[in-house]
Amino acid sequence: MTPGLLLFVAACALAVSIVAGPKFPRVWLALVLVGTVSLLGSAVFVLSGAAPAAEWRFAWAPGGDPIHLRLDGLSAIFVALVSVLGGAGAAYSLTYWSDHHYPRSAPRGRAWWSALVLSLVSVLVASNGLHFLIGWEVFTVSAYFLITLDRGWRQVRAAGWLYLAASHVGTVCLFAFFSTLSAKTGSWDLGPLRDRADLAPLLWVALFGFGVKAGLFPLHIWLPSAHANAPSHVSAIMSGAAIKMGVYGLMRFTGWLPQPSGFGTAIISIGAISALLGIAFALAQNDLKRLLAYCSVENVGVITIGLGLALLGASHGHAAWGQLALAGALLHVWNHALFKALLFYGAGAVLHSTGTREMSRLGGLWKTMPWTAALFGLGAAAISGLPPLNGFVSEWLIYLGLFDSVTGRGPTAWAALTATLFLAITGALALATFVKATSIVFLGAPRTKAARHAHDCTPGMRRPMLVLALLCVAIGLAPLFFLPAISRAIGTWNPAWANIAPAAPLATLTPVQVAIALLAVVAAIGLSWYSSRRGVPRTGTWDCGYALPTARMQYTSGSLAGIASGWFFWILQPEKRLRRPRGFFPLESIRLERTPETMLERVIAPFGGGVLRVSTAVRRLQHGHLQSYILYLLAGLATMAGLVLVLEVFQ
Amino acid sequence: MNVILETVLRLAGWLLIAPLLPGIINKVKAWVAGRRGPPVLQLYYDLARLWRKGVVLSTLASPGFIAGPAIAWVAVLCAAQLLPLGPAGAALSFRGDVLLLIYLLATARFCTAWAALETGSAFEGMGTAREVSYAVLAEAAMITAVLSLSVHTGSVTLVTMLAPAAGAGAVLLGAGLFVVLLAENCRVPFDDPNTHLELTMIHEVMVLDHSGPPFAAILHGASMKLLLFALLLTEAVLPVGELSPVAAAGALAGGVLAVTVGVGLVESLLARFAFRRVPLLLTMAFLLCLFALLVAWKGGEA
Repeated sequence: MTPGLLLFVAACALAVSIVAGPKFPRVWLALVLVGTVSLLGSAVFVLSGAAPAAEWRFAWAPGGDPIHLRLDGLSAIFVALVSVLGGAGAAYSLTYWSDHHYPRSAPRGRAWWSALVLSLVSVLVASNGLHFLIGWEVFTVSAYFLITLDRGWRQVRAAGWLYLAASHVGTVCLFAFFSTLSAKTGSWDLGPLRDRADLAPLLWVALFGFGVKAGLFPLHIWLPSAHANAPSHVSAIMSGAAIKMGVYGLMRFTGWLPQPSGFGTAIISIGAISALLGIAFALAQNDLKRLLAYCSVENVGVITIGLGLALLGASHGHAAWGQLALAGALLHVWNHALFKALLFYGAGAVLHSTGTREMSRLGGLWKTMPWTAALFGLGAAAISGLPPLNGFVSEWLIYLGLFDSVTGRGPTAWAALTATLFLAITGALALATFVKATSIVFLGAPRTKAARHAHDCTPGMRRPMLVLALLCVAIGLAPLFFLPAISRAIGTWNPAWANIAPAAPLATLTPVQVAIALLAVVAAIGLSWYSSRRGVPRTGTWDCGYALPTARMQYTSGSLAGIASGWFFWILQPEKRLRRPRGFFPLESIRLERTPETMLERVIAPFGGGVLRVSTAVRRLQHGHLQSYILYLLAGLATMAGLVLVLEVFQ
Repeated sequence: MNVILETVLRLAGWLLIAPLLPGIINKVKAWVAGRRGPPVLQLYYDLARLWRKGVVLSTLASPGFIAGPAIAWVAVLCAAQLLPLGPAGAALSFRGDVLLLIYLLATARFCTAWAALETGSAFEGMGTAREVSYAVLAEAAMITAVLSLSVHTGSVTLVTMLAPAAGAGAVLLGAGLFVVLLAENCRVPFDDPNTHLELTMIHEVMVLDHSGPPFAAILHGASMKLLLFALLLTEAVLPVGELSPVAAAGALAGGVLAVTVGVGLVESLLARFAFRRVPLLLTMAFLLCLFALLVAWKGGEA
């Protein structure tokens, strides 16, 4: 078995599954699983070093260019990620978006799912600008059809439309990027061009194009609504894999092209801002899936901080901390995909059983949904970057890179210092966000009837969640095992950094993480056992002796986040509506608070509105009256004649 | 064999000495107020009593209600093992251990907050909202402080970072870390461990519904956290790592005692701040640490 053969098997299986999907769900699942497992196999071959990075050239030339594929360390990292989420999401969707519940959209969804996975992989292995763009476009369109599976709803259509429009703004930039690249190099073929300094400025265009897809602040406008309104397995792959395509693009071309001056600083600043503002918006959300979506902005920001620092390290010749930062960024790509997909599946299970994403209508779900609650809690701890789980390992690597860069006192230290502070605040805010998300949804008392009568997810939905949770724990407890794969990707990004392990004592961290995990489990079980040795009487919450606590007295998602999100009012711009109780016998009082999509509603929408108004005004000139058109012509001619005359006179 | 013995001794030291600190603080407060006050060993009696008692749970509480305090206690204990004790070094030391220490404290916070919100009580919600929000500023100050030590010594290993004195910025750093200590350990002026007026509390209000052994774990964990911060502050300011073992032991004990008495004095002389002023004080701590960082930066260049 070779990576090439496995890729071929995967492509065949996925292609057949597009055709077979709509009619035969089980056959489809089997085919997708075969496809994704062989994809994973090919990635593992490359990442483990069992097979070197491979290139394939074919004579067949769709679009006039011969096909050129390449699977190296960097693309293999992303192929592995697409395959895990592609397989897990397919298994999850079979019960979550079943034919029984969605007879019209489920068959369509299966076909588009296979198309999405296939096109994602084609983008990752394409080594030709034209085919990259074709793959990119197919991926964008199939993601659009997956987001709008439930297109009966107005907001779903609006979210899909926004996604499609924003993506195409990005794609236009990529068109410009690839066509200029091919014009300057004379071929659409892609590959390392590290000595062509004249190509460096093109990276700015690529940054915008890929940044839109990655959801970097302030280009993230499409992301929250698309992730919130898509079916949860689609949100998971969008958040875990699709926005990572933007990150892949940035990593790929910063590795292949020389950097323009100031690029590393720009990337690290964008990353820091995305991380901080992404989590600030996430904290203020009341919609569970929207919260998770904004959290993706934060995590892509964290990844971008790592990439920016690696760029700074590369341009200033500091291999040691550059490698640490890149290792952290690459590992965070995996980690974020794993725990974010896990959280989205959990949110999907909640939505499936209660019919709402509004956190303040939920509560106390752990009783009826113990599996989902436990797995969501694990994902929440992991995404908050807590040891001994995986999120900590990647953030630790990035922190180490930042600290080393600061203590090195080079010209990059100031950027690194600022990024460290942003990352510190982001980490603590992420913890607040996920304490809120988990506790409001799963702990306390049920706030509504729907929450009281919830039911746990079926085994079909639970299994993919378990797989992802296990992977989260595995990367957390055995980071050393995954280091060779990351090192290989680092070597692909910058060949000068190949064969040097990052200066992080992962060999020490691994047993420490295991010890912490073991101690925690032993202590939790031990204390539970010891506390229940004499039986545990249960009674109502003491609540300082209040006799009649009700579910409505609990802290809500808004009140729990109130203090910290108050610090960000300048960007969150919350809309408040308050009607206080009046008079001696007040009838009703209202307090509503909503966090708008500030960038979209306050910046992009007014700008778009202005453009539309100007266009409408100009359009009045065109009304179909021939006489007036002749008048325009005469007036135009007269003006030109007048101009010529005036110029003649003055000369 | 020696390693095992040493580890056991360290663990025993942490477990047994920690509950002394709240006793000293209370004694100082009583002394300032002219009262006799509770015995210094009061917390030991309380822990023993709580450990023997049974547990009453809320009908709403999940297994996480007891697991949370247990995991938080383990996290603080593990964090404590990373902290070096003068020339004796830490039980475990590696590059980047300082970040593990900070994130283990975050794990403890996550678990305490989780357990607090299990009961569905508005009081606990209130406490949690304050705890996780103020921690944002406290953690920023903490990372800045650590970064300044890192810049000062050029290292990211606690043993090396804490060995020398903090240099010219020591006063700034000490003041900043002291404020963080007060905030993270829920002392006056951030929180009043004495009141039982729920509306004014952070930490106490989060544990209102805990009882018996889990409550003992919470109290003991809190005292270990106080000891951890007091040691960290002492070692950051004094060149403990460069002294002879006896002098270092004296310096550590004296430093911890001074910090504890300082906490007691602050508590006697200050009233708790209004909550809207808490972020300001924490921002001040952050700025102090930031200035310490700048001083360390300049000091290294000269």
